[in-house]
Amino acid sequence: MQVTVDVKGEDDVEVDAGADATYADLLSAVDLSPHEVTVLVDGRPVPEDQPVNVDHVTVLRLVKGG
Amino acid sequence: MSDLNLDATQLDRYSRHVIMDEVGPGGQAALLDASVLVVGAGGLGAPVLQYLAAAGVGRLGIADDDVVERSNLQRQVVHADADVGRPKVDSAREFVEALNPDVAVDTHQTRVDRDTVSDLVDDHDVVVDASDNFATRYLLNDACVLADTPLCHGAIYKFEGQATTVPAGGAPCYRCLFPEPPEPGTVPDCATTGVLGVLPGTIGAVQATEAVKLVTGIGDPLHGRMFTYDAADLSADEVPYRANPDCPVCGDDPVDSVASQTYQETCVVSE
Repeated sequence: MQVTVDVKGEDDVEVDAGADATYADLLSAVDLSPHEVTVLVDGRPVPEDQPVNVDHVTVLRLVKGG
Repeated sequence: MSDLNLDATQLDRYSRHVIMDEVGPGGQAALLDASVLVVGAGGLGAPVLQYLAAAGVGRLGIADDDVVERSNLQRQVVHADADVGRPKVDSAREFVEALNPDVAVDTHQTRVDRDTVSDLVDDHDVVVDASDNFATRYLLNDACVLADTPLCHGAIYKFEGQATTVPAGGAPCYRCLFPEPPEPGTVPDCATTGVLGVLPGTIGAVQATEAVKLVTGIGDPLHGRMFTYDAADLSADEVPYRANPDCPVCGDDPVDSVASQTYQETCVVSE
């Protein structure tokens, strides 16, 4: 399944996700760690270890500085 | 001041607000009546304080445990070279008082923690998160949600900025978007990666805008929307997010106090 990974602040990336792919796998494909971002589906975060069942996710970084 | 009677000096000072249909004397009176707590008098806190003071917010609380360092001066515009080594709350207070004598300033030279946060939050109408660490950020989110006090959040990293506003009572809140803080050391900070000096000016101005809107009831706050900004290509975007019924703070079975929670490196809310 082709999944569009919309990393805010960067270009969208099309990822070819296998049947057993998890959201962590999507992040790995775009060189991000689950520790530094949240993956949103329909406006809510999804657990990184869950299987991917959508064709579009939004990825937002946690930002620390102030 | 609890009525619309602005004196002649105030009518002059705030004339560009007073003549606006959307603000008017009533909105200006609301600003003069309002109290806003700004947590952090650094990069974000500086422009927040400047604009809230200029707007005539009647009482500003400033909380920060730090002293001014020379490396702060590239972006923290309420502090001056002569302030190096002084508590940030002192130089921030002097800046505000010099800018607008209508504004009363309460300073708190302390790191906001779970023992002090409730009293601080309860004493203000709006809280602005201008902090630089996740422990304070999650603590403020939780305390504000539990106190039904709106929170204007902001954060910066290199060229990127974020801002959102948590409504009174949450739903959604910051934890609905970022349920748990990251593992220590996994997210860089400005001290290690740097930050464009003008970036906090942009994001801090957004936070101040939100605070003014909340006080005056103007416009649509950033509820359920994370505003994102990239100074490198001068682009802005927003990410919609929804309340999470499993949120430990504003969900269906929320905690009732921050007192028993941990807000250090991991900021975990225990179930």
